[in-house]
Amino acid sequence: MNNIVSKILIVANLVFSLCFMCFAGAVFTFQAGWRDKANKTQTQLASANDQVKDLQGQKDQLTTKHAKELGDEKARANNAEAKVNGLTQERDQARGNLANAEKERDKHLVDLQVATKEAEARITETNDARAEIKRLRDQNNEAIAVRRGLEDKNLEMVRELADAGTREVQFLKEITHLNDLLRLNKIDPRDPVIGPVPKVVERVDGFVVESRKNPSRSAELVQISVGSDDGVFKNMKMTVYRDSSFLATIQITDVYPDKAVGLVVEETRNGTIERKDNVTTKF
Amino acid sequence: MSQQSSDPTIYDGLMFVSLGAVIVGIVFLIMALDGYGWSAG
Repeated sequence: MNNIVSKILIVANLVFSLCFMCFAGAVFTFQAGWRDKANKTQTQLASANDQVKDLQGQKDQLTTKHAKELGDEKARANNAEAKVNGLTQERDQARGNLANAEKERDKHLVDLQVATKEAEARITETNDARAEIKRLRDQNNEAIAVRRGLEDKNLEMVRELADAGTREVQFLKEITHLNDLLRLNKIDPRDPVIGPVPKVVERVDGFVVESRKNPSRSAELVQISVGSDDGVFKNMKMTVYRDSSFLATIQITDVYPDKAVGLVVEETRNGTIERKDNVTTKF
Repeated sequence: MSQQSSDPTIYDGLMFVSLGAVIVGIVFLIMALDGYGWSAG
């Protein structure tokens, strides 16, 4: 025990013994926390394993579900693809139809242009024809007016012809009557007429329009309201009267269609001639 | 010429303390193993 080696070994033994004791004490001190921690970790591990199992089950369910959905989606995709193929074919067919329709449209456009030009030509022809029709209508209207005038004239002439026939019959009767009178008076109707024959005086009634004397006041001129249209002729003698009183005899000197002028025969004057006095051929 | 001394020295005390420390350490280890039920795994 006295040598140095023994002393060193004793000190080393002491140090190691103390270290061993401290280590064992430390282990004994902290092993409870480690154990709790290990149990807790064990529990967490079990829980995690349970969760993993649950998740695994969910994963399996989701996998099954997704597999089923995948099958459905594949079926839908196949159906959609078939539909797309069908639509593609329909599209191609529609494009073909569209191309044909465009060709038909172009053809019809060309036909339409031709028809439009033809229609314009027809319109021009129609306008010309309308103008011609209007001109012909005007001519027709004029012809109708002329025809109506001619028809009126024809009717008038027919009426005149009827009157002439009636007068002819009347004249024939008068001729027969006159021939009878001539035979009764022993006159041959075929004898020639010698000397002037006075005109037949028809009954004409009028009135005095104006009475005026000449500047030398040697003669009086009377204007009357009847003229040659009423049968008055030159040198014809007419009687002027008022009410039933004879006034004078006038001799016609100037004749107009609607008036006449007569010279008063002074030898026959029986009163003063005034305006509105009556004039007649047979008093 | 050998001289025998009978008085314990400091080194004897240190040996005694070391022995005590070893015993205490062994007791701690036994108590720790008892907490685990003597199972090392």
